[in-house]
Amino acid sequence: MNKIFKKFLVFLSIFFLAQNLLANEKIDLEKQFTKKLDEVVLVVKDRQLTAENRNANIINLLTPMFDFKLMAKLSLGKSTWNKLTLKEQDNFIKLYVVRMKKSYSSKVDSYKNQEIEIKEVSQKKNRIRISTDIIGKDDSFEIIYKFYKPKKRKENKDIWLIYDVEIIGISILKADKAQFKEFLKTKSISQLINKLAKK
Amino acid sequence: MKKLFMALIIVVSLFGNEFDEFNDELETKKISDPFSSYNRVMTNFNDILIMNVLKPVNKIYIGYTYIEVRRSIRKFFRNLYFPMRFVNNILQGKFYNATEETERFLINTTIGVFGLFDPAKSEFNLVAHNEDFGQTLGFYGVGAGPHIVLPLFGPSNLRDLVAFVPDTSLILIDYENRDWWTLTDSWGAFIAVKTTEEVNEYSFYETKYDRIREDAVDLYPYLRDLYEQKRDKEIKE
Repeated sequence: MNKIFKKFLVFLSIFFLAQNLLANEKIDLEKQFTKKLDEVVLVVKDRQLTAENRNANIINLLTPMFDFKLMAKLSLGKSTWNKLTLKEQDNFIKLYVVRMKKSYSSKVDSYKNQEIEIKEVSQKKNRIRISTDIIGKDDSFEIIYKFYKPKKRKENKDIWLIYDVEIIGISILKADKAQFKEFLKTKSISQLINKLAKK
Repeated sequence: MKKLFMALIIVVSLFGNEFDEFNDELETKKISDPFSSYNRVMTNFNDILIMNVLKPVNKIYIGYTYIEVRRSIRKFFRNLYFPMRFVNNILQGKFYNATEETERFLINTTIGVFGLFDPAKSEFNLVAHNEDFGQTLGFYGVGAGPHIVLPLFGPSNLRDLVAFVPDTSLILIDYENRDWWTLTDSWGAFIAVKTTEEVNEYSFYETKYDRIREDAVDLYPYLRDLYEQKRDKEIKE
Protein backbone atom coordinates (compact mmCIF):
# COMPACT_ATOMS: atom_id res chain seq x y z
CA MET A 1 0.00 0.00 0.00
CA ASN A 2 2.74 2.31 1.09
CA LYS A 3 4.60 1.60 -2.13
CA ILE A 4 1.63 2.46 -4.25
CA PHE A 5 1.15 5.61 -2.30
CA LYS A 6 4.78 6.59 -2.83
CA LYS A 7 4.51 5.91 -6.52
CA PHE A 8 1.42 7.98 -6.67
CA LEU A 9 3.16 10.80 -4.85
CA VAL A 10 6.08 10.69 -7.25
CA PHE A 11 3.71 10.72 -10.18
CA LEU A 12 1.80 13.60 -8.72
CA SER A 13 4.88 15.69 -8.10
CA ILE A 14 6.14 15.06 -11.62
CA PHE A 15 2.77 16.00 -12.95
CA PHE A 16 2.74 19.28 -11.07
CA LEU A 17 6.34 19.99 -11.94
CA ALA A 18 5.50 19.53 -15.61
CA GLN A 19 2.48 21.77 -15.28
CA ASN A 20 4.63 24.35 -13.57
CA LEU A 21 7.30 24.17 -16.22
CA LEU A 22 4.70 24.67 -18.91
CA ALA A 23 3.32 27.68 -17.10
CA ASN A 24 6.81 29.10 -16.77
CA GLU A 25 7.49 28.64 -20.44
CA LYS A 26 4.41 30.65 -21.19
CA ILE A 27 5.30 33.42 -18.78
CA ASP A 28 8.91 33.55 -19.95
CA LEU A 29 7.88 33.85 -23.56
CA GLU A 30 5.35 36.53 -22.77
CA LYS A 31 7.97 38.53 -20.88
CA GLN A 32 10.46 38.20 -23.66
CA PHE A 33 7.87 39.07 -26.27
CA THR A 34 6.75 42.17 -24.34
CA LYS A 35 10.35 43.31 -24.07
CA LYS A 36 10.81 42.83 -27.79
CA LEU A 37 7.61 44.74 -28.54
CA ASP A 38 8.81 47.65 -26.43
CA GLU A 39 12.07 47.71 -28.34
CA VAL A 40 10.25 47.61 -31.67
CA VAL A 41 7.89 50.39 -30.59
CA LEU A 42 10.88 52.57 -29.74
CA VAL A 43 12.24 52.09 -33.24
CA VAL A 44 8.88 52.65 -34.91
CA LYS A 45 8.35 55.90 -33.03
CA ASP A 46 11.85 57.17 -33.77
CA ARG A 47 10.98 59.43 -36.68
CA GLN A 48 14.50 60.82 -36.79
CA LEU A 49 15.62 57.63 -38.47
CA THR A 50 14.91 57.20 -42.14
CA ALA A 51 12.27 54.66 -43.10
CA GLU A 52 15.03 52.42 -44.41
CA ASN A 53 16.95 52.55 -41.16
CA ARG A 54 13.83 51.91 -39.17
CA ASN A 55 13.01 48.89 -41.28
CA ALA A 56 16.54 47.56 -40.94
CA ASN A 57 16.38 47.95 -37.17
CA ILE A 58 13.00 46.28 -36.98
CA ILE A 59 14.29 43.37 -39.03
CA ASN A 60 17.31 43.01 -36.74
CA LEU A 61 15.10 42.91 -33.70
CA LEU A 62 12.58 40.48 -35.12
CA THR A 63 14.76 38.04 -37.03
CA PRO A 64 15.78 35.90 -34.04
CA MET A 65 12.08 35.43 -33.22
CA PHE A 66 10.98 34.15 -36.62
CA ASP A 67 11.67 30.82 -38.25
CA PHE A 68 11.56 32.19 -41.79
CA LYS A 69 13.17 29.07 -43.24
CA LEU A 70 10.46 26.85 -41.86
CA MET A 71 7.82 29.26 -43.12
CA ALA A 72 9.33 29.13 -46.59
CA LYS A 73 9.18 25.33 -46.60
CA LEU A 74 5.69 25.13 -45.17
CA SER A 75 4.38 27.68 -47.66
CA LEU A 76 5.27 25.33 -50.49
CA GLY A 77 4.07 22.18 -48.79
CA LYS A 78 5.81 18.86 -48.43
CA SER A 79 5.25 17.34 -51.83
CA THR A 80 6.30 20.43 -53.77
CA TRP A 81 9.26 21.04 -51.52
CA ASN A 82 10.59 17.53 -51.95
CA LYS A 83 10.44 17.86 -55.71
CA LEU A 84 12.82 20.83 -55.73
CA THR A 85 16.53 20.46 -56.34
CA LEU A 86 18.77 21.56 -53.48
CA LYS A 87 19.69 24.67 -55.41
CA GLU A 88 16.06 25.57 -55.99
CA GLN A 89 15.29 25.00 -52.31
CA ASP A 90 18.12 27.30 -51.36
CA ASN A 91 17.05 29.96 -53.80
CA PHE A 92 13.44 29.78 -52.74
CA ILE A 93 14.27 30.12 -49.06
CA LYS A 94 16.50 33.12 -49.72
CA LEU A 95 13.87 34.96 -51.73
CA TYR A 96 11.05 34.06 -49.39
CA VAL A 97 12.99 35.32 -46.38
CA VAL A 98 13.79 38.62 -48.10
CA ARG A 99 10.15 39.02 -49.05
CA MET A 100 8.86 38.25 -45.56
CA LYS A 101 11.30 40.59 -43.90
CA LYS A 102 10.43 43.41 -46.25
CA SER A 103 6.71 42.89 -46.04
CA TYR A 104 6.61 42.45 -42.29
CA SER A 105 8.89 45.31 -41.35
CA SER A 106 6.95 47.80 -43.47
CA LYS A 107 3.71 46.57 -41.89
CA VAL A 108 5.11 47.02 -38.42
CA ASP A 109 6.47 50.43 -39.31
CA SER A 110 3.02 51.63 -40.30
CA TYR A 111 1.68 51.04 -36.77
CA LYS A 112 3.34 54.23 -35.57
CA ASN A 113 0.22 55.75 -34.07
CA GLN A 114 -1.15 52.54 -32.66
CA GLU A 115 -0.96 50.85 -29.33
CA ILE A 116 -0.16 47.19 -28.99
CA GLU A 117 -1.76 45.21 -26.20
CA ILE A 118 -1.21 41.59 -25.34
CA LYS A 119 -4.64 40.05 -24.99
CA GLU A 120 -4.08 36.40 -24.36
CA VAL A 121 -1.32 33.83 -24.21
CA SER A 122 -2.25 30.21 -24.61
CA GLN A 123 -0.23 27.03 -24.83
CA LYS A 124 -0.84 23.61 -26.30
CA LYS A 125 2.18 21.33 -25.88
CA ASN A 126 4.95 22.85 -27.96
CA ARG A 127 2.83 25.63 -29.40
CA ILE A 128 2.18 29.01 -27.86
CA ARG A 129 -0.15 31.61 -29.30
CA ILE A 130 0.18 35.23 -28.30
CA SER A 131 -2.87 37.27 -29.25
CA THR A 132 -2.36 41.00 -29.48
CA ASP A 133 -4.66 43.89 -30.20
CA ILE A 134 -3.44 46.72 -32.34
CA ILE A 135 -5.47 49.69 -31.20
CA GLY A 136 -5.56 52.66 -33.52
CA LYS A 137 -7.67 55.70 -34.12
CA ASP A 138 -9.25 54.30 -37.26
CA ASP A 139 -9.29 50.61 -36.65
CA SER A 140 -8.43 48.09 -34.05
CA PHE A 141 -7.52 44.63 -35.06
CA GLU A 142 -6.10 41.42 -33.78
CA ILE A 143 -2.74 39.90 -34.60
CA ILE A 144 -1.89 36.43 -33.34
CA TYR A 145 1.71 35.26 -33.21
CA LYS A 146 2.08 31.50 -33.36
CA PHE A 147 5.21 30.09 -31.78
CA TYR A 148 6.60 26.59 -31.72
CA LYS A 149 9.54 25.09 -29.91
CA PRO A 150 11.93 23.26 -32.20
CA LYS A 151 13.30 19.99 -30.86
CA LYS A 152 16.80 21.38 -31.09
CA ARG A 153 17.48 25.06 -30.60
CA LYS A 154 18.43 26.70 -33.89
CA GLU A 155 21.54 28.76 -34.40
CA ASN A 156 21.16 32.50 -33.73
CA LYS A 157 17.53 31.96 -32.87
CA ASP A 158 15.35 32.22 -29.79
CA ILE A 159 14.05 29.11 -28.04
CA TRP A 160 10.48 29.68 -29.19
CA LEU A 161 10.06 30.66 -32.79
CA ILE A 162 7.24 32.23 -34.75
CA TYR A 163 6.09 30.06 -37.64
CA ASP A 164 2.92 31.94 -38.56
CA VAL A 165 1.19 35.25 -38.00
CA GLU A 166 -2.54 35.68 -38.14
CA ILE A 167 -3.81 39.16 -38.99
CA ILE A 168 -7.57 39.66 -38.50
CA GLY A 169 -7.99 35.93 -38.82
CA ILE A 170 -5.87 35.61 -41.93
CA SER A 171 -2.94 33.27 -41.58
CA ILE A 172 -0.19 34.65 -43.79
CA LEU A 173 1.27 31.20 -44.11
CA LYS A 174 -2.01 29.72 -45.33
CA ALA A 175 -2.54 32.62 -47.71
CA ASP A 176 0.91 32.09 -49.21
CA LYS A 177 0.38 28.36 -49.42
CA ALA A 178 -2.86 28.92 -51.30
CA GLN A 179 -1.42 31.40 -53.77
CA PHE A 180 1.76 29.40 -54.42
CA LYS A 181 -0.31 26.28 -55.01
CA GLU A 182 -2.50 28.08 -57.50
CA PHE A 183 0.51 29.61 -59.23
CA LEU A 184 2.20 26.22 -59.56
CA LYS A 185 -0.89 24.68 -61.12
CA THR A 186 -0.09 26.39 -64.39
CA LYS A 187 3.51 27.52 -63.94
CA SER A 188 6.83 26.03 -62.91
CA ILE A 189 8.77 26.50 -59.72
CA SER A 190 11.47 28.43 -61.56
CA GLN A 191 8.80 30.86 -62.72
CA LEU A 192 7.72 31.27 -59.11
CA ILE A 193 11.31 31.88 -58.04
CA ASN A 194 11.70 34.44 -60.82
CA LYS A 195 8.51 36.16 -59.79
CA LEU A 196 9.67 36.41 -56.18
CA ALA A 197 13.05 37.69 -57.34
CA LYS A 198 11.42 40.47 -59.29
CA LYS A 199 9.37 41.69 -56.34
CA MET B 1 27.51 0.82 -41.60
CA LYS B 2 24.65 0.05 -39.30
CA LYS B 3 25.30 3.27 -37.40
CA LEU B 4 25.32 5.29 -40.58
CA PHE B 5 22.06 3.74 -41.60
CA MET B 6 20.52 4.57 -38.24
CA ALA B 7 21.75 8.16 -38.47
CA LEU B 8 20.23 8.40 -41.91
CA ILE B 9 16.88 7.18 -40.64
CA ILE B 10 16.96 9.72 -37.82
CA VAL B 11 17.84 12.55 -40.19
CA VAL B 12 15.11 11.56 -42.62
CA SER B 13 12.52 11.21 -39.90
CA LEU B 14 13.46 14.55 -38.35
CA PHE B 15 13.24 16.18 -41.72
CA GLY B 16 9.90 14.62 -42.48
CA ASN B 17 8.54 15.58 -39.09
CA GLU B 18 9.05 19.25 -39.67
CA PHE B 19 6.30 19.10 -42.25
CA ASP B 20 4.11 16.50 -40.61
CA GLU B 21 4.12 18.40 -37.35
CA PHE B 22 2.38 21.33 -39.02
CA ASN B 23 0.32 19.40 -41.50
CA ASP B 24 -3.02 19.52 -39.69
CA GLU B 25 -2.69 23.17 -38.79
CA LEU B 26 -1.98 24.29 -42.30
CA GLU B 27 -4.63 22.25 -43.98
CA THR B 28 -6.07 24.84 -46.31
CA LYS B 29 -9.79 24.72 -46.85
CA LYS B 30 -10.74 23.92 -50.37
CA ILE B 31 -12.50 26.89 -51.88
CA SER B 32 -15.15 26.12 -54.45
CA ASP B 33 -14.23 28.07 -57.56
CA PRO B 34 -16.12 27.06 -60.69
CA PHE B 35 -16.06 30.64 -61.99
CA SER B 36 -12.33 31.06 -61.64
CA SER B 37 -11.73 32.36 -65.15
CA TYR B 38 -14.46 34.98 -64.80
CA ASN B 39 -13.22 35.83 -61.30
CA ARG B 40 -9.72 36.32 -62.57
CA VAL B 41 -10.87 38.72 -65.26
CA MET B 42 -13.03 40.64 -62.78
CA THR B 43 -10.17 40.86 -60.27
CA ASN B 44 -7.98 42.40 -62.97
CA PHE B 45 -10.77 44.76 -63.94
CA ASN B 46 -11.20 45.90 -60.34
CA ASP B 47 -7.48 46.24 -59.92
CA ILE B 48 -7.17 48.43 -63.01
CA LEU B 49 -10.06 50.53 -61.75
CA ILE B 50 -8.48 50.93 -58.32
CA MET B 51 -5.06 51.79 -59.66
CA ASN B 52 -6.24 54.14 -62.41
CA VAL B 53 -9.38 55.74 -61.06
CA LEU B 54 -9.70 55.30 -57.32
CA LYS B 55 -6.05 56.04 -56.63
CA PRO B 56 -5.87 59.38 -58.46
CA VAL B 57 -9.30 60.39 -57.13
CA ASN B 58 -8.15 59.51 -53.64
CA LYS B 59 -5.03 61.61 -54.02
CA ILE B 60 -7.16 64.66 -54.69
CA TYR B 61 -9.67 63.68 -52.00
CA ILE B 62 -7.01 63.30 -49.31
CA GLY B 63 -5.50 66.58 -50.43
CA TYR B 64 -8.71 68.45 -49.74
CA THR B 65 -10.14 66.74 -46.68
CA TYR B 66 -8.66 66.58 -43.23
CA ILE B 67 -8.25 63.14 -41.74
CA GLU B 68 -10.66 64.09 -38.92
CA VAL B 69 -13.32 64.92 -41.51
CA ARG B 70 -12.78 61.62 -43.26
CA ARG B 71 -13.00 59.81 -39.93
CA SER B 72 -16.31 61.49 -39.20
CA ILE B 73 -17.72 60.66 -42.62
CA ARG B 74 -16.76 57.08 -42.04
CA LYS B 75 -18.43 57.01 -38.63
CA PHE B 76 -21.53 58.66 -40.04
CA PHE B 77 -21.92 55.90 -42.65
CA ARG B 78 -21.18 53.14 -40.19
CA ASN B 79 -23.88 54.46 -37.91
CA LEU B 80 -26.38 53.97 -40.74
CA TYR B 81 -25.60 50.26 -40.76
CA PHE B 82 -27.02 49.90 -37.27
CA PRO B 83 -30.29 48.09 -38.19
CA MET B 84 -28.32 45.49 -40.13
CA ARG B 85 -25.95 44.85 -37.22
CA PHE B 86 -28.81 44.84 -34.71
CA VAL B 87 -30.98 42.34 -36.58
CA ASN B 88 -28.11 39.99 -37.35
CA ASN B 89 -26.91 40.02 -33.76
CA ILE B 90 -30.43 39.07 -32.69
CA LEU B 91 -30.67 36.36 -35.36
CA GLN B 92 -27.51 34.81 -33.97
CA GLY B 93 -28.77 35.00 -30.41
CA LYS B 94 -26.19 37.60 -29.44
CA PHE B 95 -28.59 39.64 -27.36
CA TYR B 96 -26.01 41.39 -25.26
CA ASN B 97 -24.24 42.63 -28.39
CA ALA B 98 -27.56 43.75 -29.86
CA THR B 99 -28.25 45.81 -26.75
CA GLU B 100 -24.80 47.34 -26.91
CA GLU B 101 -25.37 48.17 -30.58
CA THR B 102 -28.67 49.88 -29.71
CA GLU B 103 -27.02 51.93 -27.00
CA ARG B 104 -24.30 52.91 -29.41
CA PHE B 105 -26.81 53.98 -32.03
CA LEU B 106 -28.83 56.07 -29.57
CA ILE B 107 -25.78 57.77 -28.09
CA ASN B 108 -23.96 58.37 -31.36
CA THR B 109 -27.02 59.62 -33.21
CA THR B 110 -27.80 62.18 -30.49
CA ILE B 111 -24.68 63.20 -28.56
CA GLY B 112 -22.51 62.07 -31.47
CA VAL B 113 -24.36 64.41 -33.88
CA PHE B 114 -25.97 61.97 -36.36
CA GLY B 115 -23.12 59.55 -35.93
CA LEU B 116 -20.35 61.94 -36.96
CA PHE B 117 -18.59 61.17 -33.70
CA ASP B 118 -18.29 58.07 -31.58
CA PRO B 119 -18.77 59.10 -27.94
CA ALA B 120 -20.31 55.67 -27.30
CA LYS B 121 -16.85 54.20 -27.58
CA SER B 122 -14.72 57.02 -26.26
CA GLU B 123 -16.93 57.95 -23.30
CA PHE B 124 -18.97 54.84 -22.55
CA ASN B 125 -16.65 52.14 -23.83
CA LEU B 126 -19.36 50.54 -25.95
CA VAL B 127 -17.90 48.72 -28.94
CA ALA B 128 -19.46 47.89 -32.30
CA HIS B 129 -20.41 44.30 -33.11
CA ASN B 130 -20.25 43.89 -36.80
CA GLU B 131 -22.63 41.21 -38.00
CA ASP B 132 -24.21 40.82 -41.40
CA PHE B 133 -26.58 38.28 -42.90
CA GLY B 134 -23.73 36.38 -44.54
CA GLN B 135 -22.33 35.79 -41.07
CA THR B 136 -25.77 34.82 -39.80
CA LEU B 137 -26.12 32.22 -42.56
CA GLY B 138 -22.60 30.98 -41.80
CA PHE B 139 -23.48 30.85 -38.11
CA TYR B 140 -26.27 28.39 -38.94
CA GLY B 141 -23.94 26.26 -40.99
CA VAL B 142 -24.51 27.55 -44.51
CA GLY B 143 -21.31 27.03 -46.50
CA ALA B 144 -19.65 29.76 -48.52
CA GLY B 145 -20.54 28.27 -51.90
CA PRO B 146 -18.60 29.26 -55.01
CA HIS B 147 -16.36 32.27 -54.81
CA ILE B 148 -17.57 35.22 -56.89
CA VAL B 149 -15.72 38.44 -57.56
CA LEU B 150 -18.12 41.35 -57.95
CA PRO B 151 -17.44 44.35 -60.12
CA LEU B 152 -16.39 47.31 -57.93
CA PHE B 153 -17.15 45.51 -54.66
CA GLY B 154 -14.48 42.85 -55.04
CA PRO B 155 -14.33 39.34 -53.56
CA SER B 156 -17.50 37.65 -52.36
CA ASN B 157 -19.17 34.25 -52.50
CA LEU B 158 -22.62 32.90 -53.18
CA ARG B 159 -23.67 32.94 -49.52
CA ASP B 160 -22.58 36.54 -49.00
CA LEU B 161 -24.10 37.59 -52.31
CA VAL B 162 -27.50 36.19 -51.33
CA ALA B 163 -27.14 37.89 -47.96
CA PHE B 164 -26.70 41.20 -49.74
CA VAL B 165 -30.43 41.38 -50.41
CA PRO B 166 -31.79 41.34 -46.83
CA ASP B 167 -28.84 43.39 -45.63
CA THR B 168 -29.36 46.27 -48.07
CA SER B 169 -32.94 46.63 -46.93
CA LEU B 170 -31.63 47.01 -43.37
CA ILE B 171 -29.07 49.68 -44.15
CA LEU B 172 -30.34 53.24 -44.00
CA ILE B 173 -28.84 54.00 -47.38
CA ASP B 174 -31.29 52.70 -49.93
CA TYR B 175 -32.55 53.01 -53.51
CA GLU B 176 -36.25 52.64 -52.74
CA ASN B 177 -38.87 54.69 -50.96
CA ARG B 178 -39.39 52.86 -47.67
CA ASP B 179 -41.86 53.28 -44.87
CA TRP B 180 -39.02 54.35 -42.62
CA TRP B 181 -36.36 57.02 -42.90
CA THR B 182 -33.43 56.32 -45.17
CA LEU B 183 -30.72 58.67 -46.30
CA THR B 184 -31.51 58.08 -49.98
CA ASP B 185 -34.69 57.08 -51.79
CA SER B 186 -33.69 56.86 -55.43
CA TRP B 187 -31.10 55.03 -57.48
CA GLY B 188 -29.33 58.26 -58.45
CA ALA B 189 -28.90 59.44 -54.88
CA PHE B 190 -28.04 55.93 -53.76
CA ILE B 191 -25.20 55.58 -56.24
CA ALA B 192 -23.86 59.06 -55.46
CA VAL B 193 -23.84 58.40 -51.72
CA LYS B 194 -22.41 54.91 -52.10
CA THR B 195 -19.61 56.27 -54.24
CA THR B 196 -18.78 58.85 -51.59
CA GLU B 197 -18.76 56.13 -48.97
CA GLU B 198 -16.50 53.89 -51.03
CA VAL B 199 -14.05 56.68 -51.89
CA ASN B 200 -13.91 57.70 -48.25
CA GLU B 201 -13.44 54.10 -47.14
CA TYR B 202 -10.69 53.58 -49.70
CA SER B 203 -8.75 56.53 -48.27
CA PHE B 204 -8.22 54.36 -45.18
CA TYR B 205 -7.48 51.19 -47.12
CA GLU B 206 -5.14 52.47 -49.76
CA THR B 207 -1.90 51.43 -48.11
CA LYS B 208 -3.40 48.11 -47.10
CA TYR B 209 -4.38 47.33 -50.66
CA ASP B 210 -0.97 48.36 -51.93
CA ARG B 211 0.67 45.99 -49.47
CA ILE B 212 -1.57 43.11 -50.47
CA ARG B 213 -0.60 43.76 -54.06
CA GLU B 214 3.05 43.66 -53.09
CA ASP B 215 2.68 40.41 -51.19
CA ALA B 216 0.72 38.75 -53.97
CA VAL B 217 2.46 36.50 -56.41
CA ASP B 218 -0.84 36.07 -58.16
CA LEU B 219 -3.44 38.62 -57.13
CA TYR B 220 -6.63 36.68 -57.75
CA PRO B 221 -6.06 33.55 -55.63
CA TYR B 222 -4.38 35.66 -52.97
CA LEU B 223 -7.35 38.00 -52.58
CA ARG B 224 -9.71 35.05 -52.75
CA ASP B 225 -7.97 33.28 -49.91
CA LEU B 226 -7.70 36.42 -47.78
CA TYR B 227 -11.41 37.04 -48.19
CA GLU B 228 -12.52 33.50 -47.38
CA GLN B 229 -10.18 33.22 -44.38
CA LYS B 230 -11.41 36.54 -43.05
CA ARG B 231 -15.07 35.60 -43.45
CA ASP B 232 -14.53 32.24 -41.75
CA LYS B 233 -12.99 34.03 -38.80
CA GLU B 234 -15.81 36.57 -38.62
CA ILE B 235 -18.38 33.78 -38.63
CA LYS B 236 -16.58 31.90 -35.86
CA GLU B 237 -16.57 34.93 -33.58
